[in-house]
Amino acid sequence: MAYQKHRILMVSDFFYPNFGGVESHIYYLSQCLLKLGHKVVVMTHAYGNRSGVRYMTGGLKVYYVPWRPFLMQNTLPTFYGTLPIIRTILIREKISLVHGHQAFSTLCHEALMHARTMGYKVVFTDHSLYGFADVGSIHMNKVLQFTLADVSQAICVSHTSKENTVLRSGVPPEKVFVIPNAVDTAMFKPGPERPRGNEIVIVVISRLVYRKGADLLVEVIPEVCHLFPNVRFIVGGDGPKRVRLEEMREKHSLQDRVEMLGAVPHARVRSVLISGHIFLNSSLTEAFCIAILEAASCGLLTVSTRVGGVPEVLPDDMIVLAEPDPGDMVQAIKKAISLLPKIDPQIMHERMKKLYNWHDVAKRTEIVYDRALKCPNQNFLERVSRYLSCGAWAGKLFCLVMIIDFLLWRLVQLLQPTEDIEEVPEFTVSNHQDREMFLNSSEVQSSR
Amino acid sequence: MATDFNNSEISSPSHPRWRKVAYGGMQPGFDDNHTDDSFLEDLVMNASVVKRDLLKVMQDSVSISQYLCIVALVGLVWTYTLQSILSENSLLLLDVSLLGSGFIVLLLTKEMLSLNLLFHYILNVSFFTTGLYVLAPIYHTLTRSISSDSIWAVTVSLIVLHLFLHDYSGSTIRAPGALKSPNLTSCVSLNASVVASVFIASRLPSRLHVFAIMLFSLQVFLFAPFVTYCIKKYSFHFHLVFSFGLMVVTLAFVYMLHELLFVLLLAIIIFVSVVCPYWLIKIQEYKFEINGPWDEAKLCFDITD
Repeated sequence: MAYQKHRILMVSDFFYPNFGGVESHIYYLSQCLLKLGHKVVVMTHAYGNRSGVRYMTGGLKVYYVPWRPFLMQNTLPTFYGTLPIIRTILIREKISLVHGHQAFSTLCHEALMHARTMGYKVVFTDHSLYGFADVGSIHMNKVLQFTLADVSQAICVSHTSKENTVLRSGVPPEKVFVIPNAVDTAMFKPGPERPRGNEIVIVVISRLVYRKGADLLVEVIPEVCHLFPNVRFIVGGDGPKRVRLEEMREKHSLQDRVEMLGAVPHARVRSVLISGHIFLNSSLTEAFCIAILEAASCGLLTVSTRVGGVPEVLPDDMIVLAEPDPGDMVQAIKKAISLLPKIDPQIMHERMKKLYNWHDVAKRTEIVYDRALKCPNQNFLERVSRYLSCGAWAGKLFCLVMIIDFLLWRLVQLLQPTEDIEEVPEFTVSNHQDREMFLNSSEVQSSR
Repeated sequence: MATDFNNSEISSPSHPRWRKVAYGGMQPGFDDNHTDDSFLEDLVMNASVVKRDLLKVMQDSVSISQYLCIVALVGLVWTYTLQSILSENSLLLLDVSLLGSGFIVLLLTKEMLSLNLLFHYILNVSFFTTGLYVLAPIYHTLTRSISSDSIWAVTVSLIVLHLFLHDYSGSTIRAPGALKSPNLTSCVSLNASVVASVFIASRLPSRLHVFAIMLFSLQVFLFAPFVTYCIKKYSFHFHLVFSFGLMVVTLAFVYMLHELLFVLLLAIIIFVSVVCPYWLIKIQEYKFEINGPWDEAKLCFDITD
């Protein structure tokens, strides 16, 4: 079988200069796919005055579509507003496959819908978990069902996330792949030597919000400080719950033992991590949790709540899990402190290198792309019937949305024939960049 | 390519078992879309569904019928006043007796009978009454220029809105020191009823009428839920007896006013306290709730912000 080169368009509302799990996933995956010889183009919305076409490391082309975000970095859902520009990009870049990321990115849903209308194969990656009870989740689940009804293949970041996605959208489980995130182990190396002395430093880096379990921290920290006089906490991150943590610190007079750093830029995360021995994650829900990988790669022992996909992330001897309950978490920290003498950060780092690798993620994603392209082409009527089975009301609504999209696409084709759209000239950035260069530039990129 | 690789792996006798882990790259012998037998085994269905008892639901629905009757009685008083059957003096007498009986109920049902609290209530009520008396001329003329048809239409819709959004489980006005503050819908509901009374006030002949009617409506809309709530908390049996008494009285009065309205009210009461509970029990079997490891963890302690 000839090795097939893909021309991939990554679509998500979340990309650099924003920072988070989805953003780094897209960035590293794109870089590794570029190295494998595929063509990758990223499409996201404009961030501030960062609008238009930009190039990033390794010749990664990014379209910042001049479409303003309106809520939590999401673009306003217009259904059809993005059709012309997405069509132009698809044709200009001679894309063969569209890969959308994150269930609450409206841009991703719109792009996948238009791409399907135009007959492209699409792959979707879900990075989050959702419940089934509240109104917001029910709405999101319907939107996901709409997108996934016609997606060629789907990817989830953990097995729990796969179960969740299958339940939410009703796609057959064999269409859903599990490909976890990874960590750039070269960026998260342990310090040359471990902080000495009798003191044990517990690091927390997370946004201080309810979902990340900031309220658990408020209960756990004073308890641990009381039990272990040699423990010190470093809390990095900002958010609405920061006030509560600071109140807790005042109330128990722990000012000299709990250090609050405020928001930590991604480039500084490593330097905070290597100043500690134990990493504490208190999330209440988490599909994967890259923060744990970063901490483990820096040689820290992780204590985490047993939620979502977290139990799948690390082997049992590298993580101590606890129920999201203050008492249990204190026990887990106790256990972690007793395990600490056996942990060698360098060995841990070497293990992480073997366990997680973005190149491996890219190779596995490549297989998904191959599968997606092998999916049979379907005509419009066959696709409409798939939407119709999505629900009594929703199905008909979905069909209507798709039919209008189809008509609009035909209209745009009339107004701007495909031949009139200029295709980009091919040029290849040397693929033989050495690893060092790639790493250096990614560090530069993240510290900006 | 991938499948060939897999087949050769599976056929070998010592292939490792699939594990539910994300680390270590692709698991040898299994594709990334491998769906294990353990798939969805942590799924829990209808974990927190409560089996409801029809009689219990019917008893609980009595609170709703009771409040419906209270509002119907207010409507009756409005109608009689507008038809000049009730004079301003009898209205004032009604106000005073209602206030008195309300206080007596409060005092009897409270565990702690404190003079201080009583004084606090009396002071508040006197402030309130004085304010209302001073403002009565304004209410009298506030919406006078609006045509009567519009007044009736708006009043009826406001009352319907009030009934829809009313907080039947508690009371909007709370005892001093109550923990929870009322939610938005119950506040909207209360305001709708107050605005409805102001609309009605503009159709009355004199300022004293306006004062008496406003006092009456506000007393009922503000304090009746609180009083009935206290009764319910004190004794559920007494609450049932009181509610049935109120229903009979209301139905009798409505019957005297208009037969069609009587049929309507009776139909609504039956719908609320018989049909709806049955319906609720019936649709329980369609309940489909899924829980699993993907759910957001609930904190087992209270967060006091």
